Formats: sequence, C-alpha cells, structure tokens
Amino acid sequence: MSDDADVTIAPRPDPAPAACGAGTTIGLSDAVVQARGVEREYGQGDALVRALVGVDLDLERGAYTAIMGPSGSGKSTLMHILAGLDRPTAGSVRIDGEEITRLKERALTRLRRDKIGFIFQTFNLLPTLNAAENITLPLTIAGRRIDREWVGQLIETVELGDRLKHKPAELSGGQQQRVAVARALASRPAVLFADEPTGNLDSRTGEEVLGLLRRSCDELGQTIVMVTHDAHAAGHADRIVFLKDGAVAHDCGRLDRDEIYEVVKSLEDVG
Amino acid sequence: MIRVAWRSLRSHKLRTVLTTVAILLGVAMISGTYVLTDQIDRGFREIFTDAYRGTDVTVTRKARFAGQLVGATEGLPQDMVEQVRAVDGVEQVYGYATGMGAVVVRGEVVQTGGAPTLFFSYSPNDLTPPDYVRGRPPEEPGEVAVIQKLATDERLQPGSPITVVTDDGAHEATVCGVFRFAAQSSLGGSILVHTTLSDAQRWFGMAGRISEIDVRAEAGVSAAGLAARIRAALPAYTEVKTGAQAAADQTKALSDAIGTFLRPVLLSFGGIAVFVGAFIIFNAFSMTVAQRRREFALLRALGASRSQVLWSITAEALVMGVLASTAGLFAGLGVAAAVNQVFRSGGFDIPHSGLVLQPRTIVIALVVGVVVTMLSAVAPALRATRVPPVAALQEGAELPRSRLTRLTPALAAVVAVLGALLIAGGMYGGGSTLVRLATTAAGALSVFVAVAIASRSFVGPLAAWLGWPLQKVSPVSGRLARDNSRRNPGRTALTAAALMIGLAVVVFVAVLAQGLKSSFIDSFDRTVRADYIIASTNYMTIPSDTERRIESVPGVEAVVSLDAQQVEAKDGVTAVVWGIDPVAIGRVWSFDWISGDDAALAELGRRGAVIEEQTAASLGVKRGGIVRVTTVEGRRADLKVLGTYRDPMILNGITVGMAGYDALFPKSQTFMVVAKARPGVDVGATQRAIETAMASVPTAKVRSTDEYKESTVDLVNQLLTLVYGLLALSVVISLFGIVNTLVLAVYERTREIGLLRAIGMSRAQVRATVRYESVITSIIGALMGIVVGVVFAWVVTTRFAGQGIVFSIPGAQLAAFLLLAVVVGVVAAILPARRAARIDILAAIQYE
Repeated sequence: MSDDADVTIAPRPDPAPAACGAGTTIGLSDAVVQARGVEREYGQGDALVRALVGVDLDLERGAYTAIMGPSGSGKSTLMHILAGLDRPTAGSVRIDGEEITRLKERALTRLRRDKIGFIFQTFNLLPTLNAAENITLPLTIAGRRIDREWVGQLIETVELGDRLKHKPAELSGGQQQRVAVARALASRPAVLFADEPTGNLDSRTGEEVLGLLRRSCDELGQTIVMVTHDAHAAGHADRIVFLKDGAVAHDCGRLDRDEIYEVVKSLEDVG
Repeated sequence: MIRVAWRSLRSHKLRTVLTTVAILLGVAMISGTYVLTDQIDRGFREIFTDAYRGTDVTVTRKARFAGQLVGATEGLPQDMVEQVRAVDGVEQVYGYATGMGAVVVRGEVVQTGGAPTLFFSYSPNDLTPPDYVRGRPPEEPGEVAVIQKLATDERLQPGSPITVVTDDGAHEATVCGVFRFAAQSSLGGSILVHTTLSDAQRWFGMAGRISEIDVRAEAGVSAAGLAARIRAALPAYTEVKTGAQAAADQTKALSDAIGTFLRPVLLSFGGIAVFVGAFIIFNAFSMTVAQRRREFALLRALGASRSQVLWSITAEALVMGVLASTAGLFAGLGVAAAVNQVFRSGGFDIPHSGLVLQPRTIVIALVVGVVVTMLSAVAPALRATRVPPVAALQEGAELPRSRLTRLTPALAAVVAVLGALLIAGGMYGGGSTLVRLATTAAGALSVFVAVAIASRSFVGPLAAWLGWPLQKVSPVSGRLARDNSRRNPGRTALTAAALMIGLAVVVFVAVLAQGLKSSFIDSFDRTVRADYIIASTNYMTIPSDTERRIESVPGVEAVVSLDAQQVEAKDGVTAVVWGIDPVAIGRVWSFDWISGDDAALAELGRRGAVIEEQTAASLGVKRGGIVRVTTVEGRRADLKVLGTYRDPMILNGITVGMAGYDALFPKSQTFMVVAKARPGVDVGATQRAIETAMASVPTAKVRSTDEYKESTVDLVNQLLTLVYGLLALSVVISLFGIVNTLVLAVYERTREIGLLRAIGMSRAQVRATVRYESVITSIIGALMGIVVGVVFAWVVTTRFAGQGIVFSIPGAQLAAFLLLAVVVGVVAAILPARRAARIDILAAIQYE
C-alpha cells in the first residue's frame, strides 16, 4: 500500500514560470523558519494518510511567503507543524534557531506566546472581549507590560481607532480580521502565520486585510507565512511555495495572478 | 424513541452520569430512610413478639392521662398477683418491678448514647424463660445480672463489682449472671439489669408494689377469654391485655415514634436533596436542548412533528429517571447500612432485622425519581419543540426566547408572593402541626424557585462584582472567568441556585441554633445566680439526697434542689411541675418576672404557683388564675397563679414551693441541684469539695455554671453537626450540578479555548479560568443561600420569639460557609478544568 503511495508522489517535471524553481530552496542566510525532512502521517494500516512526505523549507526573516496548493496537498498541515501546533512524524523544525519538534507542552506554549502570531480563517477573537482587549490579549496572557506606543501604532495601522470599544459581534468580518492582524502583531512575533485569512471575506474587505499584511511586512519588517488557495491573496506575497501531495512542487518568487493560475492549473492537470 | 433516547444518553456519557447522580443521591436518601426505618421497625417487632411469646395476658396500671411518660406510673399493689392467680384458667402468674437508673463500672457511668438503662426484678419463671449465658439470676439482695452486651463491653463476669445509681442513691452490687434478652445480646443500646424484687422495690421507691403482672393460661384456655375474666376481677385502674396485644402495642409505640420523628426528619433531608437534583436536571436539559438546537431543527425539517421532538426529550428523561431511581434504590440499601453503622459506632445499637425492601419503598423510589426527572425536563423539552426547522441551516446556538421570558419578573414575583403566603399560612395559620409544617415547607420551596427565577437578572452584575478582585489578581484567567460567568446568566443562575438551596437550609439551621444558644446563655445569665450546677449529663434524674450531701460541704452558702414531675394541667395538656425551696431559691436564682415579683415566692405555700410564660399561654392562665393539675397517681390540686416569668430553658413549667410539691408527689425526683459558694471562699476548691461529696454518685456531674453553659451549647453544636451531615448530601449534589454546567461550557467554548491556547495561553491559565468561573458561581450560590437562609431564620425566630429563640447571626459560621462554597467551587472545577486544559488546539481551531 505504501509502495503505491510512493509511486504517486514521485517528483516529476512540471511546466512553471521562469521565477520558479522545481523542488525547494534551502540554505538561506537569515532563515527564521527552517524545516528539514518534515513528514506527517495520520492513522495506520489501510487508513494511513501521508499528509507530508518530506518537506525542506527555509523562510527568510522579513519575507512574506504564501503557501499554496490544491485541497489535500498538505499546506495546512505544514503550517500547523511550522507553528508548533502539530508535531511531524519525522523531520525537524527550527524557529528562530530553536528546535521545536521535541519541545514539551510548557515550552511550546511559551514558543507560541513569544515567537508566533496567528490569524485564522474565522473565529480569531474572543467574543467577550472588546477590540482593544483582543489586540492586547497575547500580552496580557504573557503577563507582559503593554507597550502603549506600539499598540497605538498597530491600532493606527489597522485603522480601527473608533471601534476599539466594540465587541467582535459588533464588528464587520473585515474589521474582525483587522483586529486579528493587530492581535497577531502585538507580541512582535518572529513569524506570523495566517491560515486563509481572507477565506471568509468578500473581495473588498479581503483586500483591506491583504494590504494590511503587506504593510506589516514592508513597514514593520514582519515575517509572514500565509496559507491560501486564493491566487489573488497569494499575489501579495514575495514568495509562493506550491505544495502537491505532501511535497514542495514549486518554489517561486513574486508572481502575478495569471502566473499563479497557470501554476495551479498545471498542478491540477497533472493530479 | 426510547432507543433514540438511549443512544443520546450513551453518546453523552459524562453528562448522563453527572445528571443521573444528581437525582440518584436524593432517591438513595429516601429509599435508605424507608429501608432503615423498616428494619428498625421489624427488629423491634421481633424482639417484643419474642419477649411476650410465653405470656398470654399482661396486667399494668392504666395511664392517668394522655401523654403520660412511659414508666411514670405508680404501679400495682404486690398482692394483686394473688388476685390474678385466683382467676379461673390461670396457670402461672409472674409479677415484677421495673425502673430506670444508671450503672457505674470502675467509677465510670456506663454511657448508653441516649438509650435508657432499665432494671427488672427477675426470678426464674416459665413465662419469661431465663436466657442466661453465664452465672444465674439474682437471688440475694445486692446481686444483679446484666445483659450480655454490657458484660462484654465492660468486661463483667459473675463476681464483678458494679454500682447501681437510682433516685434512691448509689448501691453497691455484685454481678451474678449474664443474660440475653429475647435472644438479643443488646437492645438498641439499652442496658438491661436483673435485680431481686426487694432491691427493685427499694431502689425505685416501690415498696409493696410491682410494675406488671404476666399470666400464662392453662392449656386450652383462650388468651382473650382469660384477659376478659381477669379484667372483671381487677379494679378499673388496671389495664389487662393479651400478650400478643401487649407486644403489638409496644411495637406500635416505637413504630409511631419512628414514623413521626426519625422517618419524616430523614425524609425531609432526602426531599431537599431531590429538590436540588431537580434544579440540576432542569439546568442540564436546558443546556443540552440549546446545544442540540440544530439537531432538533433538522428533525423538524425532515418532517418530525413537535410532539415527536417533545417525546424524544421526555423519553430521554424517562430513561434517565428509571436508571437513577433504580440505582438510587440500591444505593439506599447502602445508605441504610451506613446510618446503622453510624448509630452503632455512637453506641446506639438499634435492633434491626436483615434487609427489608418493601414494595412500598421500591414504588416510592421509582415514582419520585422518574416523576421528578420528567417534570424537570418538561420545560426544556417544550422549548426544543419551538425550534423552527429553518434553524437547521443557521449558525449559532441561540434558542428562541421563551414566550415566558418577558413575564419572568412577574413570574418570579407571583411565585415569591405565593411562597410568602404559604409560609405565613404555615407559621401563623391553624391546622395540625403536620399540615402547618408541610405548608411552610411548600412555601420555602416556592421561595427557592422564585429566587432562582429572579436570580438570572442579578447574576450578571453580581458575577461582575465578584470577578473584579479575581481580575485584579489574574488579568487573563480572572477576566475571562468573570466574562464567562456572565455570558449565560440563566445558566449560571440555575447552577448557583442548586447550591443556594442546600446552603440556605444549612444557614437557616445555623442561625436558629445560634439563636437558641444566645437565648439560652442570655436567659441563663439573667436567672442563674449560683456557682455550681449538679445534674446528670443526659437529662436523667439524680439521687434525691444530692441537696443534703452538698449542704454539709464547707464553703457552700446555699443549695437548692430543683425537682420535677409530669402532670396533666388541662385536658390533654401535660406540663412539668417544678418544686423549689421558696426561701433559698432567692439566693441562687433570679426570676425574670413578667407579672408578679419575688414576693410571690414567699406566698407559694401549699396551693400557690408561679408559671413560665409559654406554659401559662398554652394553659390559658394569667396571674390570679387557677391551674388544676392531676398527678400520675391521680392526686389533684388547684394552684393559684401568683406570677409569671420568662425561662425557656430550665424552669419551663409550673413552679411550686416544696410544701406544694410534697403535697402532690410521693417521691421527689431531682433533676438539678444548684449551689452557691460563700463570698470569699475559693470557688475552685469548693467545687472540688462538692465533687468529693458526690464521688459515690458519678451520674450526678458537678459543673461550674460556666461549664454547664458550655456543655449545653456543646449539645446544640452536636445536634447541629448531625444536621450539617445530613445536609451535606444536598451540597454534594449541587457540586455535581456545577461540574455538569462547567463541562458543557467547556465543550461549547472548545474553539475559544483552542484560540487562547494557540496564542500562548498555558494549560494552567486555562484551568484557572475554569476554576475561577466555578468559584464565582459557587459564591453566588452561597450568597443567595445565606440571604435566603437568614431571612427564613428571621421569619421563624420572629414567629417564635416568645419561645426562647432570638434572632442572632453567627457571623463566623456564615464566613465559614462562604469559604466552604469556595472549596465546592474549586473541587467542582477539577474535572472540567482538566478537560479544558487537554483540549487539542489543532482539533479545536479546525472544529466545524
């Protein structure tokens, strides 16, 4: 059974734009995230699912990277492992130089608290807290002193000054995601992971959030990893990593929307 | 549908278990009460039947008046035995004397845990065959035989010395034998002692008299016929019964005592537990109905009718009720065994036959469990039926607001007013005590319901207020707990209300007990001017010569003996007549006069009396009026009321002078002796001198007035501890309710917890959040309970203000209850907090 699976994920030459390398690029000088030989299996026997079959990936500090791929390509699994939410079956992940795959529960909590920011597709905010409280929540959890100036700057960046006292239920979807971005930035994480951050938004509000992430990268130097299947969203990134069948299929620089569609289409055609 | 319900219950095992336990415990208490009391009942029945097995007819003296104390008769002339023997058909006659006292072994009074120490004169006869396991029955004066349990406990054997203490004083005796009674080694902790007839007559002041005559009929003579002939031959003051009737009557007297006291008391605690359980079931079903909203909408969209949805939930309640009642029934057997064990370890060895599980017990347990569970589930089930089919397609877990929500404040007010009316009716209205108690209880339950309904409107602000310090201490966990406890005020309110009920009753009892203690101390301080009180520790009599013994102790200035006996003071109303020395009393006692003054004491003479206010009220007499009293022996006297006074604790009856007392009663029957030291002497040394004078009578304990006060307060505290123990069950049940609510809340907030964990919240912080929410809920419950309990106690003490209970709040105890509530909250949070901390982040954020 597993032999068959090995056959299906064998590397193959894919047509791709010039900006893309087949396979992965590793050995970057200033990598915040370093993944080596990451594998992830679920279940066993007949029910064995190999979500990742050996991913090597370096993510440069200050870069805005999108991870794309068809459903079941393993992109969410990869992000969860990179963010310390899930453990790989094999391989290693370093964040800011620290090996995280064998960390104990307490150390993982500290890692998430100090090094990582999250933006999920939905349900990013605690319904009982207002916008301002949600933004400072990671700092409160960590028991850190709240840097008023920094928080003020964030609030300015996300343009929510007049809605700070509102509860999430009183905010639009776009406003909620902007609060989520500010929340994720508040602790100045080494990496910000965004999982389909615009998946639940219409195109106009989605654009606001994407622009915000772009500015976070440009103006604040924030390292961002975004998982998405939306070509438009990926178009904002500096680098796009395409996954297919649990492995990196292409590693590209900046692409425009049409180029992305082309790569996506080529991946789907072959699959 | 039953199968659907069963599946639903199985798929939510924890919830099912927690909810079931809530009702199970109450049912166990109720069925346990029946099993226990039935066992005691049958145990006594077997003993009495066995004891009268060889007796066809018994002769005793009729009680002079209703309510006369058992054993308080003057007995029969000894020569009546011959009269009976002469009746046609009598084969054998056996007369004997009985009395109560105490036994002292190696200088220590043998304690019985409240059961009496009974003495019987005994000589071998065919009616009550000897069941001697060692030695022989007493033959010579000074010889006694003892029941096997006493011999075993005190390591007595033929030849051991023993002291017998009766009203007549202390008597040295020697054990000559060890026997069993009706094949029992003990009789409910009672101590039985066989003496010779002459000793019994001397020790119990029954010269020339006996207590009972037992008769065996000749072969072929019917017991009933013989009883009729004997009755015809004897004076009218005798009571002639067949042996079977006597056994039945004695069994019935004990059964009635159990049925009118032990059973209702235990049942009412069981009832409170069931009531608390009902709150928890209601809350549990409300929460699950809210959670399963989309499921019901889907069923409706697929064409299920409202009644089918209703039936699916009630079926679940039915299955749960049957499970809980069945388990509760069997747990009741354990409760009965446990209570028995508690009694036994307290030295109160109640006779009980083996397992008695009457059909009545099974029916009551099942009916209570099933009916309460189903009634509690009806309202949530009705709400489920109003979920529109379109809800299947919508997000969110909001139930349609109940049509009654708008009316909630009005509903709470109506129920509260109803409760207040019922309580007022019960407290101030007429009817039998039972009816009034039941009315008051129904009122109290209504008030609980009203407070529970109303509480949803103040739980939010209260939680905010209580959560504030938590938030200061713990900015994240405290803050989130504070918010969470306010998110669903109705749910928090009901969960807290369950705890409120148990605690309200606890507080009520505590405040009443405090009032009792305060008023006792207050009354004692106002009236008692003595330094020493000599009395038994179990409200039994002390030897009549106690006063004389103490008089001669150097350093003692005044001694007064307080003697008392029961009389009938009005048709069907008994009262206690106290006899005092009207001159000496003024030196040790200060009457708290309502009418009249100390001059009344000097005028008591043979026909004067002063009366305690409550007794005066119940007899309907005032100063200047006349009370006609009838003694057990049939003597009558018209006493002129010279004054009334307050004294709810000691002289709580009709007080007469020694001359009046002696004119009424043939024996003195001393309950208490109060003494005062001469000014200037060493009070402690004098106490030791009195103790030395009383050394041979250890039943009479010498205490300083402060020691006496303390021991009385201790007695109240002991009773209080017992009641707290019985109420603990309700508190435990409400703890399960908190667990249930928290488990559901944690389940509902899985995604939130996942998010919090993803952004860096530690497991400890998650646990703290749940714990704080639990503590906020439990403190709310405790505060409501304290307020309601204090108000109830205030109402009751106001009603019975004249009867010696003042309203007094035990501040330290209330603080302790609040602390207890915090502990309940922390304990209840353990399991849900652990579940919350173990939530898998990945699963939580990908949920739905």
